[in-house]
Amino acid sequence: MSGSDIAAIFQGAIVTVTLSLIGILIGLPIGLGLALIRWANLPIGAGIVTLYVSMLRATPLVTLLLLLFFALPNIGVPINPISAAILALVMNTSAFNCEVWRSALMNFPKDQYEAAQSVGMQAGQRFRRIVLPQIVRVSLPGLVNEMSLLIKVTPVLAVVGVVDITRAAVRIGAQTYEPLPPLLVAVALYAPIVFALVSLQRWIERRQIAAEAAA
Amino acid sequence: MIHDFAIVWNERALLLNGLANTAMLSTLAAIAALVLGFILTPALMSKRRAVSGAAQIFVDGMRCVPFLLFAYIVYYGLPSFGVRLDNWTSGLAALTIYNAAYMAEILRGAWVVQPREPIEAGVAFGFSEIRLFRRIILPPLLLSAGPVIGNQMIQIIKDSAFLTIIALPELTHAASSIQSRHYVPFAAFITAVFLYWGLCLVIEAGVSSIGRVAEARR
Amino acid sequence: MAEFSKVLDVAGVSKRFGDVEVLSDVSFQVDKGETVCVLGPSGSGKSTLLRCINWLERPDAGQIYLNGERVGINGAGIIMSDRDLSQIRTRIGMVFQHFALWPHLTVLQNLMEAPVQVQRRPKAEVRDEALALLAKVGLSEKRDAFPARLSGGQKQRVGIARALAMRPDLLLFDEPTSALDPELVGEVLVVMRDLAREGMTMVIVTHEMGFAREAATRVLFLDRGRAVETGAPDRFFSNPETERARQFLQRYAGDTAAGRR
Repeated sequence: MSGSDIAAIFQGAIVTVTLSLIGILIGLPIGLGLALIRWANLPIGAGIVTLYVSMLRATPLVTLLLLLFFALPNIGVPINPISAAILALVMNTSAFNCEVWRSALMNFPKDQYEAAQSVGMQAGQRFRRIVLPQIVRVSLPGLVNEMSLLIKVTPVLAVVGVVDITRAAVRIGAQTYEPLPPLLVAVALYAPIVFALVSLQRWIERRQIAAEAAA
Repeated sequence: MIHDFAIVWNERALLLNGLANTAMLSTLAAIAALVLGFILTPALMSKRRAVSGAAQIFVDGMRCVPFLLFAYIVYYGLPSFGVRLDNWTSGLAALTIYNAAYMAEILRGAWVVQPREPIEAGVAFGFSEIRLFRRIILPPLLLSAGPVIGNQMIQIIKDSAFLTIIALPELTHAASSIQSRHYVPFAAFITAVFLYWGLCLVIEAGVSSIGRVAEARR
Repeated sequence: MAEFSKVLDVAGVSKRFGDVEVLSDVSFQVDKGETVCVLGPSGSGKSTLLRCINWLERPDAGQIYLNGERVGINGAGIIMSDRDLSQIRTRIGMVFQHFALWPHLTVLQNLMEAPVQVQRRPKAEVRDEALALLAKVGLSEKRDAFPARLSGGQKQRVGIARALAMRPDLLLFDEPTSALDPELVGEVLVVMRDLAREGMTMVIVTHEMGFAREAATRVLFLDRGRAVETGAPDRFFSNPETERARQFLQRYAGDTAAGRR
């Protein structure tokens, strides 16, 4: 395995990290939006969201990606591999995020909300200044966990031809007839990223426990 | 569109075969992973640093590696060591080994919150070894860990879809095959999505009933 | 001369945890039908002593004999196998401070589990006996309930019935009422007192001085791991021999004087 091979895998890493970040950044607010729709119990919206989340959480990412990549052009929406990948990642992660946000919303102490109402805050203010900061805090470990899970499913992008870490490694293996070394390099790239996120999650959890103990 | 679904309906044998493969593969892997987990968990909690350290490295390792990559390593990498497995066996092996790490963590989490006194009572009443494990330790442990194990089972089903990469004839592979031959991508894959959803609902129903059994005893 | 009327013979038992000597050279014997109450301040090693009897804790030194048979060490002088130990344990019943009922089994199943699984007795016979025991402790109607649905006093009565279902030679009680709300203590003490009257051989670690005074045939006073004093309850409570016992009783005098049973 030559230096240029390793460079190719690193280039794949850039793709992995970039697409993951885009997926995370878009998926977070969408997940929050879905959770709010369910929490507010909007008449039709809540039902649709429940169905959507339930199905997306049950659907393998690879199946979803293939569905989007092949079906969208079929109904007249042209799509390239990268866009299909981002769309699949966002749909998937937003569904899981939704559950994390929803749990935080459901456990939100109602009296704080009522206190905000009684001092005359309007809905938008109430949400921005009272509810949001606290549910962000509570949701943080779960959301970081979701991020680490997202990184771990990005190899699926290889299925539609996006050259991420995995596809780069597999391609080199096919060219050199030595599949194992590039795969191990790939592991060496994924592991630190995931490990960093898992450690971050544990650190956040420890800090939160300590903060609660001090309170 | 109706025509597309008619085509999928004609190919239902292939699809159902894929579904059966997915279900069977996932169930076997889940059971095997659970059994391996029962071996790993005591290792994780062992007082001998060498044993617990090795177990922890394995568990942390599996949690930091994407499953698809691990499946590739098992399928393409093992032949380098002279071990050549067919796609079904390597798929099953990859699913089992990978999820054994998660099962071990789940079991450890459930074990830690088990009250010790009823187990001590078991010892005091003469239970030992296998009988103690089977009749005193295991039932409350499984009741407590049931929901989390159920979630992991759903994860296994979804991971099994990755094995389409190594041409394992599971559900996603069947849907892909139908769509590539008949050009009915939406019908084929949306049907697969509904079938996965169905599998998931079955497991969630199972988890609910375990939850009810556990609740009666709580 | 082998003393087989002695159900329990504890000789020179010592145990340390880390560098704390929890038990120092404790010896005592229990005859058939006796009710021995083990008293002492917290940390005096009472529970540890009890748990050494059925080897839930392994003594560092000393011998323990159940009806002449050594517990924990086999004839060849090496530590007993799990199987042999479990055999002896089936003849020693134990009642736990926090009840320790098996949560996944109903009350009746709790009683039947060990006799069927460990003693290999026929199910029908075990069932009949279990139902009789439940009636004896006054909980027949709870036989199909799960432990989680019972009150503390009910759970402990089930715990006693469960121990009795093994037909043990000896019953050990590890602070059986300490975890109970005060109003639930009485129902358990009634069962224990009846057992004592019926001639069950019992060793009871307890803080219930009134019960000890009334139901014990002998009292064993432990302090800081040593067996300081032993004797008839009347004499012990009214005229203790040692200073430590006197101090201990003074602290509890308030309880007994206030008529706390």
